[in-house]
Amino acid sequence: MATTPTSTARAASTSRSGSTSRWRGIAFVGVLAVALVVAPLVSSPYVNYQLSSIAVFAVAILGLNIVMGYTGQVSLGQSAFLGLGAYIAAYGILHGWPGPLTLLLCAVVPAVVGMLVALAAARLRGLALAMITLALPIVGVPLARRFDDFTGGSQGQVVSWLRAPESTGLANDQWRYYVVVLIAVVAFVLARNLVRGRIGRSFAIVKENEAVALSMGVSPYRTKVLAFTIASLLGGVSGFMYLAIVQYTSPETLVFATSINLVAAMVIGGSASIIGTALGAVYYVLVPVLAGQVNSSRTALISGAVLLAVLFLLPAGLVSLPRRLARLRSSTRRPHPSAPPTTSDEATHRASAPSATTDQHS
Amino acid sequence: MTKTRNAARASGVIATVSIAALLVSGCTRDSSSGGPGADDSASSPGITDDSISIGISSPLSGPTAGPGSCTIAGLDSYIEAKNAAGGFEFGDGKTRQVDFTYLDDVYDPAKAVSNFRQLINDGIFAYVGALGTPTNAAVMPIAEEEEVPQVLLTTGARTFSSDQDAHPWTTGFVPTYATEGRAFGELLAKEGKPVTVATLAQNDDFGQSYLDGFNEAIEGSQVEVVADATYEPTDTTLDAQVTELASSKADVLLSAVSVTPLQVGVLTKAQSLGWLPRIFLPSNTSTPGTILQPGGAAAYPAVYTPSFSKNPNSPAFANDEDVKAYNDAFQKYGSKIATTYTPHCAWSYAEGAVLDEAFQGMEEPTRESFMDSMKSISGFQAPLLLDGITVDTTTKDDAAISTVQLVQYDGQAGFKPVAG
Amino acid sequence: MSYFIQVVVDGLSNGAIYAAIALAIVLVYRATGLINFAQGGMAVTATFVAYALTQAGVPVLLALVAAVVLGFALGALLERGVMRHFEGGDPDTAVVATIALLVVLSGLSAFFFGYEPHPFPSLFPNRTIGVLGVFVSLRSIGTITVLIVVMVALQLLFRSTKLGLAMRAVADNPQSSALSGLPVSRLLMIGWGLAAALGAIAGVLVAPQLFISPGMLDFVLVYALASAILGGLDSPVGAVVAAAFIGVVENLAGAYLDFIGDDLKIAVPFIAVIVILVVRPQGLFGRKVTVRV
Repeated sequence: MATTPTSTARAASTSRSGSTSRWRGIAFVGVLAVALVVAPLVSSPYVNYQLSSIAVFAVAILGLNIVMGYTGQVSLGQSAFLGLGAYIAAYGILHGWPGPLTLLLCAVVPAVVGMLVALAAARLRGLALAMITLALPIVGVPLARRFDDFTGGSQGQVVSWLRAPESTGLANDQWRYYVVVLIAVVAFVLARNLVRGRIGRSFAIVKENEAVALSMGVSPYRTKVLAFTIASLLGGVSGFMYLAIVQYTSPETLVFATSINLVAAMVIGGSASIIGTALGAVYYVLVPVLAGQVNSSRTALISGAVLLAVLFLLPAGLVSLPRRLARLRSSTRRPHPSAPPTTSDEATHRASAPSATTDQHS
Repeated sequence: MTKTRNAARASGVIATVSIAALLVSGCTRDSSSGGPGADDSASSPGITDDSISIGISSPLSGPTAGPGSCTIAGLDSYIEAKNAAGGFEFGDGKTRQVDFTYLDDVYDPAKAVSNFRQLINDGIFAYVGALGTPTNAAVMPIAEEEEVPQVLLTTGARTFSSDQDAHPWTTGFVPTYATEGRAFGELLAKEGKPVTVATLAQNDDFGQSYLDGFNEAIEGSQVEVVADATYEPTDTTLDAQVTELASSKADVLLSAVSVTPLQVGVLTKAQSLGWLPRIFLPSNTSTPGTILQPGGAAAYPAVYTPSFSKNPNSPAFANDEDVKAYNDAFQKYGSKIATTYTPHCAWSYAEGAVLDEAFQGMEEPTRESFMDSMKSISGFQAPLLLDGITVDTTTKDDAAISTVQLVQYDGQAGFKPVAG
Repeated sequence: MSYFIQVVVDGLSNGAIYAAIALAIVLVYRATGLINFAQGGMAVTATFVAYALTQAGVPVLLALVAAVVLGFALGALLERGVMRHFEGGDPDTAVVATIALLVVLSGLSAFFFGYEPHPFPSLFPNRTIGVLGVFVSLRSIGTITVLIVVMVALQLLFRSTKLGLAMRAVADNPQSSALSGLPVSRLLMIGWGLAAALGAIAGVLVAPQLFISPGMLDFVLVYALASAILGGLDSPVGAVVAAAFIGVVENLAGAYLDFIGDDLKIAVPFIAVIVILVVRPQGLFGRKVTVRV
């Protein structure tokens, strides 16, 4: 919610800060692009694997953020789409389908499944919706074991593929990095345009108040189905990417715990924020690694404590860090700040909170 | 666009921090270790004249953390005790200290791969003793690609042992689940009279290989499976399955259940229904203190389990030299990692001795030489293994331990040899 | 026929386990309006207190009382020390904070007791009675009896006491409750305390069957959540009925539908829940909500 787009606010701030910010933005994108291209060339295979993992889970979290962060609908089932995508990718590769076709199916099939679920579920809200999405991984795991001709059963499937073509002169880890990062960049650019456009506005309105949405001619039902479909599509794509770097899939890929961790990472990064999504993925991948370096017998305790600490310090996610710092700076200068920068956001949350939670019992 | 600019700055800061973090843990491309084409004459990564480093990734948190931490605690006990006693002797005449690194993968294949890559990056010589079928299956192709030994795995899945020509860098340690199932089948088939059997198996490769081994052994005999049921490890209780099996009134129940509370539930439920078959339990869920006594197993006419290691808590072995050495070492080192005993603690301790044996036969400080030595151990009586059970790594299609002894619950805290 | 009845009875005993946790979920939802993932963590932590006491030789009943008291203190403390920080903010953040609490609590339990499951002494004699070929354990009967008592008590609390009505008002709409003079923060604290105390009862009831471990309730929580939601989240009676329904349907499907089998039987109650929710979004016992425009 750090950047919930309301057109008026955006127009105002654009005119205010003028062209310097645009140049900074372009410079930032340029530096980022160079860093993304150069990083795998100078990093060890291990670092490349971690960077690629961040790209994989960034896309999964991106989907989650579209349905939860931007549209305000709970989803506890994203891991099911991640797993479905990984299984389709494994099946396709093992049967010699071309890569692009496999990728396309990894996007389309989960999207269709997600849409069908949403067509039934999108009338529900709050916990009932949480329940239905939660059922997906719960039912998905035994299903994956049952259809072992398709999935390889509980032993899972090793898929050795995506070797670097000779002509590129790259190592496998570098090649796979470029493939998944390219997919992730495309997904992020498309998602950014989506949430800034007309559809993004309808997501925000539905999240804010469904009655208002109706009065403005936006169908909350169709908007929610669309958000779920996009989230499932991105989940499936991230499954393809998962198989690209892990080279293995099994029922463990879609366990419920992964869904929960993805939700936590999304909120930690920054709900309804594209940059927050990327930061959430960095958090998702790196915190277990760092916890393991501190004490591998206590990873759960350390990760939980870190999660709680970040929530305490930055309730709006990692993406709000600069605002938080700016506020701290300004409050040391002026002991009684009349209007801290985040107040308006918090007020929005407060106003939207009851509409999201009181459907069952009001 | 204040927000965007701030966010951009934030992500810049965070990206810098995270890349710095990565660079602290991982190093740059040139010094990356392993990989094919390592020169044969030079030594492999992770070994110097006075040290060698090995690594493992097992579940240390989450539902499988009990066995997972035991696969580390036992091995750690052996290694640290040996280090403290001067170090490991190698076939090249040098004595080395072993550095042991362990990581938590929460039974998640993606984390296991990440951990494995991290360990290679940190320069381990070999990956030893990891627990878990999916996690090891995900690691296996990378171990092959990077030519890093992935040995003595604590999983009974056949994949890791059945075709060692295809997977030359991987070996399993504990008997395969099929070996255990076969032992049961053979015992029943040998009795030479009609027996009816009900089977209850975990719905995965563990349960399936168990049944496969059992069915192979009873083929052509008078043993007949009259009822079967499966369960998911996440099930709350198995009452329904037991009720269904009990209605068959079979003479024997093969309960290939790997989850402690569920196995206890099976033992309690069957007798509460008035069904008292002879019972077969797998080696990982037949510890008297945590399973048989709480489950009231003494009520059944006979409870069998395959065994290959001594239970260090059993009074029967209280004066055994191996057990004393184990208990001392575990008290001092392993108890920091695992708090509750599972058989995996004893197994991984024995596995430390097999590793020691492989080191002794290793004539050059290379991974190739290590694998040669690792695959030429036979007739080795590792500590804590039952008399008559030896380690044989020379077969190309079976785990390092390929035999089990059936033992029978004595109604108290231990086991006795099977009667007859 | 006796097989059929046995399958149903087994299903009811499973349902009793789900119901125990589902009641705690209903309570915390009624009191705070949140999905509380930490519910399981608090219950397990309190149950570990009881476990430690029984290990030290304290009788189970006394250990239960101690666990309930400490559970209440723990819940109130977590609300005061942690959750209060997130109240009034983004509800997603608050839910993730409960996830963080769950992870920390089970990490702490594991730190002291390890991850391996330990046997837990039962409040009730470990015996089974047989009636006409159908067997039921005294433990299940005892669990169900306690559950019914708790259910009635909760129903009375919410319908007939000032405290209960005030708690509902706070959960429904904290702003207007505050305006009308209710001590919102104290009520939320009591709500969390009660939920954790109930969690302690639930934990001690189910631990003899499930064995105590940090992850004891991870999967039960999913069933319990399904029961609570199917029951309408509003109604203790609904939660218990729904839990029984889920337990029985699951068992019957496993026993009688061959293509479902033991592996997919979990899907049956979940699909049933989905169908029921789609037809009747407020759950079986929930009150119909009209959306005000």
